Amino acid sequence: MPSIAKPIATHPTLQRNSLGLTIRDYEGSMSTLCAGCGHDSITAAVIRALWELDTEPHMVAKLSGIGCSSKTPTYFVSGAHGFNSAHGRMPAIATGAAAANRDLLYIGVSGDGDSLSIGLGQMCHAIRRNLRMAYILENNGVYGLTKGQFSASSDIGSKSKRGEPNRMAPIDPVRLGLALGATFVARSFSGDKEQLVPILKAAFTHRGFALVDVVSPCVTFNDHEGSTKSYKHTRKNTLRATQADFVPPQSEILAQITKSGTTAVTMHDGSVVNFTAVPKDYDPTDRRKVAAYLDDQPANAVVTGLLFIDPNAPDMHELSQSSPTPLRDLAYEKLCPGSAELERLQEEFR
Amino acid sequence: MPQYIRLIAQGKYTEAYMVNRESNVFPAILGRTCDRPCEPACRRGRLDGAPVAICRLKRVAADLRGEISHLLPKIPKESNGKRVALIGAGPASLTVANDLRPLGYEVTIFEKQNKPGGLMRSNIPSFRLPERVLDEEVGVILDMGVEIRYNSPVTSLDALLKDGYDAVFVGTGAPRGKELDLPGRHDTPEDKPRIHIGIDWLESVAFGHIDKIGERVLIIGVGNTAMDCCRSSRRLGGKDIKVMARRPRGFFKASPWELDDAEEEGINIVINHAPKHFVVENGVLKGMQFERLEWDADAKKSRVIDEVFLPADDVILAIGQENAFPWIERDLGIEFDKWGMPAVDETTFQSTRPGVFFGGDAAWGPKNIIWAVAHGHQAAISVHNHCQGVPVTDRPRQGSSLISQKMGISEWSYHNDYNPSKRQKMQHVDLTKRFQQLNIEVELGFDPEQTAREVQRCLNCDIQTAFTENRCIECDACVDVCPVQCLTITRDGDEADLRTRLSAPAINLTQAIYASNPLPQTGRAMVKDEDVCVHCGLCAERCPTAAWDMQKFDLMIPYAGAPCTTSSVLA
Amino acid sequence: MHDVLRTRVNDFAVKLANVNGTGSASANGLLMQAIFRMGIPVCGKNLFPSNIQGLPTWYEIRVNKDGYSARALDYDLMVAMNSQTYDRDIKEVRPGGYLLYDSSWPLDPDLHREDITFLGVPLAEMCNQHFEDPRARILMKNIAYAGAMVATLDIDMEVVNALLEEKFAGKKALHESNRKALQLGYQYAKDHFECPLPFRLEKMDSNQGKILIDGNTATALGAIYAGCTVAAWYPITPATSVMDGFKAFCEQYRKDPETGKNNYLILQAEDELAAIGMVLGASWNGARAFTSTAGPGLSLMNELLGFGYYAEIPAVVVDVQRVGPSTGMPTRTQQSDLLLAAYASHGDTRHILLFPANPHECFHFAVKAFDLAERFQTPVIMMSDLDIGMNDWVVPRLSWDDAYRPDRGRILDAEDLEKKIGKFQRYHNEDENFVAARTLPGVSEKGSYFTRGSGHNKFGGYTEMPDEYQEVMDRLKKKHAAAAKFIPEPELLRREGARFGVIAMGGCDPAVREALDQLERQGTPADYLRVRGFPFGEVVEKFLAEHDFCFVVEQSRDAQLRSLLTLETAVAKDKLRSVLVYGGFPLSSRHVVQGILSQL
Repeated sequence: MPSIAKPIATHPTLQRNSLGLTIRDYEGSMSTLCAGCGHDSITAAVIRALWELDTEPHMVAKLSGIGCSSKTPTYFVSGAHGFNSAHGRMPAIATGAAAANRDLLYIGVSGDGDSLSIGLGQMCHAIRRNLRMAYILENNGVYGLTKGQFSASSDIGSKSKRGEPNRMAPIDPVRLGLALGATFVARSFSGDKEQLVPILKAAFTHRGFALVDVVSPCVTFNDHEGSTKSYKHTRKNTLRATQADFVPPQSEILAQITKSGTTAVTMHDGSVVNFTAVPKDYDPTDRRKVAAYLDDQPANAVVTGLLFIDPNAPDMHELSQSSPTPLRDLAYEKLCPGSAELERLQEEFR
Repeated sequence: MPQYIRLIAQGKYTEAYMVNRESNVFPAILGRTCDRPCEPACRRGRLDGAPVAICRLKRVAADLRGEISHLLPKIPKESNGKRVALIGAGPASLTVANDLRPLGYEVTIFEKQNKPGGLMRSNIPSFRLPERVLDEEVGVILDMGVEIRYNSPVTSLDALLKDGYDAVFVGTGAPRGKELDLPGRHDTPEDKPRIHIGIDWLESVAFGHIDKIGERVLIIGVGNTAMDCCRSSRRLGGKDIKVMARRPRGFFKASPWELDDAEEEGINIVINHAPKHFVVENGVLKGMQFERLEWDADAKKSRVIDEVFLPADDVILAIGQENAFPWIERDLGIEFDKWGMPAVDETTFQSTRPGVFFGGDAAWGPKNIIWAVAHGHQAAISVHNHCQGVPVTDRPRQGSSLISQKMGISEWSYHNDYNPSKRQKMQHVDLTKRFQQLNIEVELGFDPEQTAREVQRCLNCDIQTAFTENRCIECDACVDVCPVQCLTITRDGDEADLRTRLSAPAINLTQAIYASNPLPQTGRAMVKDEDVCVHCGLCAERCPTAAWDMQKFDLMIPYAGAPCTTSSVLA
Repeated sequence: MHDVLRTRVNDFAVKLANVNGTGSASANGLLMQAIFRMGIPVCGKNLFPSNIQGLPTWYEIRVNKDGYSARALDYDLMVAMNSQTYDRDIKEVRPGGYLLYDSSWPLDPDLHREDITFLGVPLAEMCNQHFEDPRARILMKNIAYAGAMVATLDIDMEVVNALLEEKFAGKKALHESNRKALQLGYQYAKDHFECPLPFRLEKMDSNQGKILIDGNTATALGAIYAGCTVAAWYPITPATSVMDGFKAFCEQYRKDPETGKNNYLILQAEDELAAIGMVLGASWNGARAFTSTAGPGLSLMNELLGFGYYAEIPAVVVDVQRVGPSTGMPTRTQQSDLLLAAYASHGDTRHILLFPANPHECFHFAVKAFDLAERFQTPVIMMSDLDIGMNDWVVPRLSWDDAYRPDRGRILDAEDLEKKIGKFQRYHNEDENFVAARTLPGVSEKGSYFTRGSGHNKFGGYTEMPDEYQEVMDRLKKKHAAAAKFIPEPELLRREGARFGVIAMGGCDPAVREALDQLERQGTPADYLRVRGFPFGEVVEKFLAEHDFCFVVEQSRDAQLRSLLTLETAVAKDKLRSVLVYGGFPLSSRHVVQGILSQL
């Protein structure tokens, strides 16, 4: 009998992280996306990044909207709670969830339709609040589940599978994020885990809204000749602006590696993002310069890397001065003013 | 092998038996007695340490099979005019007969005993191999129209050759147990011996000449014969039975499961004792004197600590077997070496005299039944060539085929799921019951539930991953989905270099790494460490371009008169 | 002889016509509060425009010693401070009544009415004389007419002074000018009119154990007492003051004394789509969370309310209803969100609704809403309205039982999960109310599951199979029905010889009660049932069955409560007759009495 389930067999020398977990412990159920979908590769990168970060699975909350990309939280960290919300509404759900418990790692997975069309407003406002979450935008330039319509990130001139060219200008999440004041802006490619995994690790560590736009080819509807989001086109036009390594805190090699890199940015928890390669005069902490750099690149270039980071901006909870204890863990006794106070208070209602 | 395991999984026991019989001829016998050389090679062992119980599954197919007579090769009514003599009715000769009779050869077997089977009968106790099973599988071959002459030891090869046989096959085994000529060995009376040669003693037990033994028994040696001796002793009155080993555990010749079975029956295995001399007082065996040894880590060097005396009523010597060919005249053109072994060609099994072939233990000394069968197949090819005037060195080639197993999305022709079950444990007859009679078979065989579980442990390693690089778009789907991380896309390099850049360490250095030609988009290579592949087919399942496929590899082995078809012959 | 001319104590109605943005609200509030403090039953209705400055606004004060607190449509005194609406305002004075106006300018002779008395007070002139700052002149004019009313209605000056002192504590200059303005008006009236008028006030003692509070403030206070920590909202009239109140109470009660940090988080969302999303996210994660909104916001929330229903996530929504459809009349009241709320969202959805009738119930129902939402793991919508939410009501003091602990419903904690064998299954093993246990993120790997709005089976797994889907949907329906036993029981008022029943909900209550008394006096006794929540329970069914016919009094054109009753109970459609008042102002007993009598 044929089976699609991923065998529980593991490599005999499978490594364990400091929690004693193998990378397989961070998997979810088997993907039901089309074979070869870029999203599955991103899922694999998420799994690897979480495993390498020694993240406790139950301390992760996975959220998504609707669309192919939004199915993927089922495919990683089955030990975490997941929330597959409504189309374009994930940022709001994540905002509320984060409000209730600031201690979890919130991973939002969205797509170009979810984020740049129906949920554009919500994404912008999550950026504005600097909600502490990693927001992965799995960008394939096409509506997959409804079979191949252009999306808001389709490039001018990119052709549909039937050969029809797109004529409207795309919304570029990276530029949008920069303009809105996002505190972490990155772009990568599903086919480049060497770059993607460290970016995700930094994003998971970032104290604020980490926007990670990942070009993720749709093998079924947008991987043909003439598409600007195909594997081939992306590989041909990728311009790796930065290469970053993520160095966790308390690492012995921290000092050393910090010195060796071109630029090092210390994250809020003491970990370091070490830029081993950036263009000349590139400063990933200077929003204006990053924007100018992007302007200077050829129109068809897919500029990738951790492009901008501001590790010190206050997040939603800091902006709100909210309790360091997760709100949902506050004892009721602490929250209710009690009958005597109610009596007193009502003297004001006379 | 996976082929017949899959057939068992489908409940096609008869078909499974026939697939099995094609190469090993005695599935029911080997399913009980095999040394299992195949199990260490089983890939399942690389994953969870325990190979598929291939041997047990053979027995399942044999036990549950239906009628096979209509599936056996047809025996021509007419003789092809060639006569072949087979000496000894053991597994090697029987295999030769099995392969030659369908070709019309007149086959005559000369057997010194009054029953066929050779050491399968004489040296394997009936509690391991019931006589009924032996008779049945041997009978299938004899019923092909083989002439067998019982009680007919060949005393002169010269005389036999003069009878005008077109070819002679010597399958007489290694009939002589090794002697242990220590002081006191011959001090017991010859008519009532208390010091026995293991294989002779087992033969006497098998043929009913011996039916009891003393309470205290020492077995010298710790091979599989020793195991049969001690367990037989247990059934013939032995109570305090010790198997005396020179070396520590881990260095025994006996199969681990045979040791387990013996110890389950209360046999004491005593390590690090070297026999020094027999203690016989007034012609009565009292016991043996041993040196106690201390070994270095790899059991190469030893030092004597002290000596101990162990009392015994009987001692059985099970320290090995030898060949003996006193009946082969040395002037027949058959060369022998200085140890008295014939010079036999390793491919053709022919001696230095054309038309005289050796096989089984008779060729190169004691091995096991499965080897004897393999020899028999090869010797049969030689005999056939010889009789047809074809050079014996002109061997038919092996063939193979590769066929895709994909049937549709998520559909494979085989059960591709990985079953995490542990290797099933063989159930045994209760200790109290099993000693009541010598021939109560100890192993009960797998029940249907165990069988169902065990067959699913098979990794279908004949269904292989096959990669077509020019189709690959490097989407990583296969790399990501592989449960055992055996795939990597990386820049090309030599094998040693590649091994350092794999998704998971390639630990088995004897297993070559697969590396593709440069991939179309980036020029990198698809690299696969075959070692722990579970053949789940997910790489092919998740491949959008069918660059990966699962293909069934069939190795076709030629038999006498049955070459593989030319299209499938391996280059 | 006109009623007005008979001396009436503590039984009259005053209407104040103002221009909005002039500060009249505080003067009107002052009067209302003063009367309340005199121990007299009083009600005030603010009929304000959807505007910040310049449009007409009215305030009505009804004093009734018997405690009737619905609007009275007969105004004994009109304080006409808005020349733009003189025409209309003068017409509304009952024959024999009085009109107080700013006589700084002469009144158009065309507006003159013989049957009422005009009381001119040169308010502008006086203020111009006494106050220099133009803004102060406008503001003080209001206090000045209040002063005139203190004199004409015989309001206790000591009470008024005390109120001013409280109000302007620490703001000496302001206090002084207010006192001055008040005195100006008071003195003018004393000097020029026969004070008090035939209808006047006299101290009573009926407000012991009562407070003066609006529903939105009470709702906010309920959320505080329920232990709510997360609130998300988008500004909308008339719900805004719920969140204003919540914020104020949070600042008062939720600053952690140890850390100085906020033990709450209020999220002003980008829209109501997001607001409900945030509430669901927070509730899913174990916090008590709510949002407040009005019809247009509820429309936007429809999408995720269905999600909350299907994925079984608690949420508390306070819908302070206003006049629809579309933007409608945002500052007018209605009960026309009922059907939208009951079945909010696409697909088969149904929600638990609560119908508070006054601010007192707003407080208790708000707490109840959180308990129900968590017990039944579903959105609960509290259907308030503008009248309840934004008008000050005299209601019994709020009481609190310190033994109360939130009903968090079925939640498996780490310990429960540790004991559990096998995987946690989200929608399986329901209790007698068809509620299955949930788990919270961040507690234990063993409790993890996937929350989804897509088809799921009872184990929480994705499904597209009819039987698996239906199994869950059928349980949800039973769960909703089971909630009937937990929502507040309907209020039942039976009368001897009742020929029929009258059914109402929410803010119709005072008018209906008054109307039923009047009908009884006229020989038409009727039984009264006030539903306080949905799903309807046995009491409602029984009441409907017991009566040959019932009137359903409500504030919507399409008789939505009647529709809901016919849909959700066994009652025959023709047994229900409607009395509908949906123009946007609160109803009075006259609407009810006339509505019923015309159909008998």
